[in-house]
Amino acid sequence: MLKLWQVLRLLWRAHPAAMWRGALLAVLVLLMGAALLGLSGWFITATGLAGIAGVGIAFDVFRPSAGVRGLALGRAAARYGERLLTHDATLRALAALRVTLLARLERFPVAELRRLRGASALTRITADVDALDGVVLRLALPISAALLTHAAVFLGLWALTSHAVAISVAAGYLLGGGLVLWRVGRATLGLSARAESATQDLRRRAIGLFRGRREAILQGALPRWRAGLDATEAEARAAMDELDRIDSGAGMALSTIITLIVAGVFALAGWLVVEADLDPALGAIGVFVALALGETLLPLRRGMAEIGRMRDAAGRVLAEPPARNLKRLSESSPAVVPGKAVLELRHLSLARPGWSRLLLHDLSFALAPGETLALRGASGLGKSTLLDVIAGLEPVTAGEVSLLDRPLATWPETDLREVLTLVPQRAALVSGTVLENLALARPGLTEAEAVAALEAVHLAQTVGARGGLSSPLGEGGAGLSGGQARRLVLARALLRRPKMLLLDEPTEGLDAETAREVLAGIRKFLPDAAIVTASHRAAELEAADQVIDLKSYIPES
Amino acid sequence: MSSAPVSSAAEPELQRAESLLGPDAQRRLSRAARLSAIAAALWLPQAAALAWGIAGWAEDAPLSRTLWMALVFALLGLLRAQGDALASRLAYRAADQVLHAQRQALLDREALRLGGASSGALSALLTEKLAVLGPWITRYRPAMARARLLPLLYLAVILTISWAAGLVLLVAGPLIPVFMALVGMAAKDASQKQMVEVGAMNTLLIDRISALPDLLLLNAAAASRAEFAARAEGLRERTMAVLRVAFLSSTVLELFSALGVAMVAVYVGFSLLGEITIGTWGLFGPGLTLFQGIFLLLLAPDFFQPLRDLAAAWHDRAAAEAVAEELGDLRQDRLVPVLGQGGDAPPLPGPAAISLRGVSVRRGEQVVTLPDIEISPGESLALRGASGVGKSTALDVVAGLLVSETGQTRVAGHALVDDTADAWRARIAYIPQEVHIPDMTLRTFLTGDSTSEVPPEALHRARATRIVAALPEGLETVLGESGAGVSGGEARRLLLARALIRGADVILADEPTADLDATTGAAIIEVLQGLCAEGRTVVVATHDPALAAAMGRALDLEAAQC
Repeated sequence: MLKLWQVLRLLWRAHPAAMWRGALLAVLVLLMGAALLGLSGWFITATGLAGIAGVGIAFDVFRPSAGVRGLALGRAAARYGERLLTHDATLRALAALRVTLLARLERFPVAELRRLRGASALTRITADVDALDGVVLRLALPISAALLTHAAVFLGLWALTSHAVAISVAAGYLLGGGLVLWRVGRATLGLSARAESATQDLRRRAIGLFRGRREAILQGALPRWRAGLDATEAEARAAMDELDRIDSGAGMALSTIITLIVAGVFALAGWLVVEADLDPALGAIGVFVALALGETLLPLRRGMAEIGRMRDAAGRVLAEPPARNLKRLSESSPAVVPGKAVLELRHLSLARPGWSRLLLHDLSFALAPGETLALRGASGLGKSTLLDVIAGLEPVTAGEVSLLDRPLATWPETDLREVLTLVPQRAALVSGTVLENLALARPGLTEAEAVAALEAVHLAQTVGARGGLSSPLGEGGAGLSGGQARRLVLARALLRRPKMLLLDEPTEGLDAETAREVLAGIRKFLPDAAIVTASHRAAELEAADQVIDLKSYIPES
Repeated sequence: MSSAPVSSAAEPELQRAESLLGPDAQRRLSRAARLSAIAAALWLPQAAALAWGIAGWAEDAPLSRTLWMALVFALLGLLRAQGDALASRLAYRAADQVLHAQRQALLDREALRLGGASSGALSALLTEKLAVLGPWITRYRPAMARARLLPLLYLAVILTISWAAGLVLLVAGPLIPVFMALVGMAAKDASQKQMVEVGAMNTLLIDRISALPDLLLLNAAAASRAEFAARAEGLRERTMAVLRVAFLSSTVLELFSALGVAMVAVYVGFSLLGEITIGTWGLFGPGLTLFQGIFLLLLAPDFFQPLRDLAAAWHDRAAAEAVAEELGDLRQDRLVPVLGQGGDAPPLPGPAAISLRGVSVRRGEQVVTLPDIEISPGESLALRGASGVGKSTALDVVAGLLVSETGQTRVAGHALVDDTADAWRARIAYIPQEVHIPDMTLRTFLTGDSTSEVPPEALHRARATRIVAALPEGLETVLGESGAGVSGGEARRLLLARALIRGADVILADEPTADLDATTGAAIIEVLQGLCAEGRTVVVATHDPALAAAMGRALDLEAAQC
């Protein structure tokens, strides 16, 4: 529940003024609704009494009828304002929640984030943030508006009608309604979370079945996969059905409570009228207002039924990143003897993250400014893992890595990224213009600099043909071919002007001629940088000053 | 129940979504809709009870009249709550039934059709999109039933009391078709626009999360986050501009109903005072009685309520219609399902001969004609030719994954048809170019269940021992999207190991050496050669001259076609 509270504070703080205004108008709408019905009831009963008494002419009809019209119009206007303001506040909250989520994710290790790129992980995240939208719209706003309305109505009825009527209305709604809603919240707490996870499971299995259906058919396993999916569906249906049963039960309970309150107030007012303690027209106010207040109660049950789901989603969205053990692992490593190298590896051994078996062992090399080193070796030998280790993303299993005469492990993250840039094999672009994508590497980038970087990777012409730097790219850089996207990613890395550049399969998707030109362009753009490439293509090997074949470092098994 | 032509203009469009409801669900839904309308109509006697009781206060009637009326009001209210709950459960069950049936139909059909809609689109349809039918069934349909019955019923009752009040409502809730059109426009615009914008915000978020590892490497995460916030703000401003207009039309709608109620109240007040004497039928004197006045006041808001409920549910219909259309398009897709059911079957008996005669296959708009291919048991054959000439198509036909439009395919002495396909596939190992490894442990992947032993020599022969040894949990490692990754070359060797373990005697491989470095490629060729050597039938589709040379025979598809 603590997380839910945290989410509420986060959303509310996105724009407290808009939230408060929205809440205020929500109260106003409810109050005007109650006042409209109460005033109309009083007006008609009072005019009826005056008519019977034959004092119709003396009755002031002008003010009450103007009041009725005013309240009717005012309520429609307040409703309009309420809808606008709460939507505005919600949109702000949506943005705030997503920005917070991004900020939290930034503190996760890169390796973990790479795993998030799968479709099902991403739908899970969006489903979670969508669930949290309801915290304000379906929970906080309606509940606080209902409470404020009841407080105001209580005072109004206390002053206008009898105290007994005011107390009955308030007590009936707060105790009866509160009890039902509390029970709904409790009954659905685990259930709605279970329904949600079954739904997510169904989605995951559906993606698995459709993506792997060819494989399943070939293996004769389709009926088995299908049975698994059907079982998950049955589970999700059972949970949803139970939720609906509770929901319609709660709806019935709330309607019953409203009916009983109205009937009770009706009887009470009737008794007070007969006892001559209450004017009939004022008694009518009590009945009509009790009736109108039903509006405050009914919308609350949906939010209450979702609390379990929201709580779980809040837990996941606000999850703390795991502590990074990367630095501590090798902090005790001995100081490196100063040299001239940008990068120096000494007796390095490494394993794939999470795997026990060593991939490479006893690897040593040094790289001076302006030098290029090519790592070669068959797929799966550990080229990418080695680059990740040098980039400080994965821990060293044994040995030392030093960057600019300083042990890698002692570099603070931000400083490290200033001097070292890694272009991974699956580097991603974002939606936005070409220039925006490049400017990620260097804020305040000028067009001339951008063009220079594009020229270095032989992409300037292509970008020009597409409509220049301001031409838009789709989601994940959609609209560019594989080779073009690759080169744009390289240009983006160049703009950081790193002292140490790590390139994983930099020319994948390019023909041999372009590959050579691009590598030459990179070297020309960064004449003093140390560059390490990982590739099994000829172009990279030709462009290198040193070539290291990782095959020689495979541990004997 | 009355079936007044409230919105006959909207009916024809509805047919597509309507056709998704089975007769059983249709029946249940009609009952739910009827029940919901009847429950709502109970307000009529409830209002009369309240009005009669309150009118008694002015006439110094005894307390018993109020108490009796309170009792009637409460009992009817309980009945109404019961009816509502029952109707909502019935509607939910109907919706659940429809969703279940549609999901099953979609799975039955699409799991056996390859190469059509993407897996992402299909699973989105199966989960989120189909779910959209739910609100249409549970909210829109009962709301529609209420909108057809209640306003007319109330109007009829109100008219018998006062033609003037009836006239006011008719004018305020103007001609119902106009009202409905307004309702539709208002609700549709607002909700759809907002859905689109929230969707856009999620798309932007997914885009940024996907790029986050790179952004961190560029020290650009904070800048990108600021940019995200700025774009979200822009999105908000645009959305609000749209919503301001969209909400205005629904406010107009609300205004009509508010004014209608207010005017009835004022008319009733003046009539009770005797200042207005027209507007009634004059049965109880010149004006209204107090009972009639209160009764009218209680009925007026509920005259509009069903229409407002319908307005709130209006976009459910549009959303359901869109889903129905997508389902309809998918159903009309001419894609032919694979042969067989994709189930487990005892292997088809007979020597592994394969024969394709006069086979042509439809792939999208084009028809691929294959040459006659005869493969004897134990033979190894390389299919060569430029991309698009039909190499992969031929492999798919042999595996029963593609159905030929003309000609005949015979395998192991049987025609390859629905009845033989599953049994034939039990003998096949197919190594595709893009290996998809499902989320399961390696042991399950290799042997088909989670407990069977994996013979070490099969791994050894497939050059896969090292791959398994390097995995963090060996054979218990979960592979696939959510698990540990293996490279393309490793995945192909694991598939070969599985072929050995399961005793497949027909190996089909699509470009098994593509995109691999020379060493890995050579290892795979060696394994395939080993498989031929022990008498298994091997068919590969390839560009790789080294692989083609290693096969017993090569068939050039282009040359054969001319």
